Amino acid sequence: MKKILIANRGEIAVRIIRACRELGVSPVAVYSECDRTALHVRYADEAYAIGPSAPRESYLRIDAIIDAAKKSGADGVHPGYGFLAENEDFAAAVRDAGLTFIGPTPAAIETMGSKTAARTAAKKAGVPVVPGTEDPLAPEVPDAEMATAAAAIGYPLLVKAVAGGGGKGMRTVSDAADLSGAVRAARSEAGAAFGDAAVYLERRLTRPRHIEVQLLGDAHGTVLPFVERECSIQRRHQKVVEETPSLAVSPALRAAMTSAAASVARAVGYTNAGTIEFLLDEDGRFYFLEMNTRLQVEHPITEMVTGLDLVRWQIRIARGERLDLDPDALLRPNGHAIECRIYAEDPDNNFLPSPGRIQQLRVPAGPGIRDDSGATAGLDVPIFYDPMISKLVAWAEDRPLAIARMQRALGEYLVTGIKTTVPFFTWLLAQPDFRAGRFHTTYLDEVLKARNGRPFVETTPELEDVAAIAAALEAVMSPSALASDAAGGRTERRISHRWRDQARAEGLRSQ
Amino acid sequence: MQYEVDIGGRRRQVVVTRSGDGFAVSVDGRTWQVDAARIDAHTLSLLVEDGLRAVPHKRVSSNEVTIATDPVSGELAVHVGATPVAVTLNGRRRWGRKDEGAGTGSGPQRLAAPMPGKVVRVLVTAGDLVTARQPVVVVEAMKMENELRASRDGTVAEIHVREGMSVDAGALLLVIQ
Repeated sequence: MKKILIANRGEIAVRIIRACRELGVSPVAVYSECDRTALHVRYADEAYAIGPSAPRESYLRIDAIIDAAKKSGADGVHPGYGFLAENEDFAAAVRDAGLTFIGPTPAAIETMGSKTAARTAAKKAGVPVVPGTEDPLAPEVPDAEMATAAAAIGYPLLVKAVAGGGGKGMRTVSDAADLSGAVRAARSEAGAAFGDAAVYLERRLTRPRHIEVQLLGDAHGTVLPFVERECSIQRRHQKVVEETPSLAVSPALRAAMTSAAASVARAVGYTNAGTIEFLLDEDGRFYFLEMNTRLQVEHPITEMVTGLDLVRWQIRIARGERLDLDPDALLRPNGHAIECRIYAEDPDNNFLPSPGRIQQLRVPAGPGIRDDSGATAGLDVPIFYDPMISKLVAWAEDRPLAIARMQRALGEYLVTGIKTTVPFFTWLLAQPDFRAGRFHTTYLDEVLKARNGRPFVETTPELEDVAAIAAALEAVMSPSALASDAAGGRTERRISHRWRDQARAEGLRSQ
Repeated sequence: MQYEVDIGGRRRQVVVTRSGDGFAVSVDGRTWQVDAARIDAHTLSLLVEDGLRAVPHKRVSSNEVTIATDPVSGELAVHVGATPVAVTLNGRRRWGRKDEGAGTGSGPQRLAAPMPGKVVRVLVTAGDLVTARQPVVVVEAMKMENELRASRDGTVAEIHVREGMSVDAGALLLVIQ
């Protein structure tokens, strides 16, 4: 492969471009209307417009992306995560166009993409699954039949979309009386989100941890698991902090979970990068949850503790190379890594999205810090896509040092123009329960509820004095800038006024 | 120059005078010697020294400060280091769309869209009685549905949007009296 088209945007497109460059492969970008000036377009060798900003008119259009690949003469396509990454029709279309899909086969995507089929595959491989219905509920299932199935599983239970992900099409039911309403609601949400209204029932474990195992499989039958990732810090079923290794996983448990993960992958002939997700209950029993047939958002923490480049391996595997890695080394983490997903959301306003123009951006750097980002100052965070702007990763020799390093980095992270979740992470990393590793998948939702909207940003009298001094000095030193602010109007105009004022001021100075 | 600066609901009297190469700034009567250097259009570096303490080794704090105007609230968005602080200068003449977005306290609540997006549900009709924190409008942006809530008890007086409409940040959605 000499040229790879990246069928994605944002930080992951930039991440894949970097891997291409290091392999001497030419990266090709695609972009929607609002992404014309995005970083992935600027970093790529070639870039092709694929349609309007709405995802279904651009990043989800298989025909437009295949067309761009043909125009560019690319010989491989990397789907990233999200969008078309777990769409077997896309993988098949890439193959049928005579190009290499950098990921698993369409058949593996299809099998593992159905939660019920994936559970069956796991059971066949001898891996325990959370008790639940074997098949999706029939569309016209009588209430009585549904109630019998639910009683056999036990309450509380979850109604889950067969095609689901990201918490969509999912409902918790604690009382038999609420079952049929929850199934109706989950069906309608799943139908809207995934185009597939099928749902099934699954027992809801109390206070489980979310532990997952990264895998690589080559085309020669080798499947290798990696040290686990701990992803229990979730808000509304979305991961916000991940770390590796997990405090809850002993070496014996690691051996059991990673070999279980590998046997599920081998059972379906899995190739390329994938991740098996497990729930770990309070008694140390683990259950297969689902498989993600793609590169995972949180893959950098695994890279930090193993020293490997997973995206480079994805490309090498797609080229037919053998996984000539020491399997034991992949299970022995070097140090500890933590990732915080930095979102354009206002944590002090119920995490409402905060799209808009980034005025200033200074990302942390220094020892052990990695910031995978698609954002730059001057860019708009569009309203059309996921609001994650970057993934901040800290590595250190052990967990307490990694937390201290992450706290240091959060203190350096300066973003103005939009709100971000940086203050929320600053608060979270100081919590005794987080520091002690005492958490589970609903921990964060519970503590956020208990906080009842109390602000994460805490100022001190000294800091407020400095802010007051700064505001007054800005009014003295740069009255024209504030005057144009005072005139109102749109932000863009205000910003351009300020730049113009600044340019004039600098012009005067140099004369 | 004299300013009134509101932070966190407390008003401060700030007086700025030139002093040497920098400024003497008093905040509610306490004076600071400040060396201010501009980094870029939005950023100042402030070295702040307590002007009153007559001790040989005075602490000089180093602060990087950025200043921008929040498009929705009209407040100044000041960052001291990475910590955001919302500041209102000369409280009686706030900049921007003062009434929209703010809404606690007395007077009508003019509920504004906090971000651009699409109105997916209007949960009230004109004349409805609402209580504080009751969800009234759902706006979809960035793949998420976001419930906007009443900030006070009252009656829905005006509704300016309907389901399916796209709205800009700061757009007036409804008024609660």
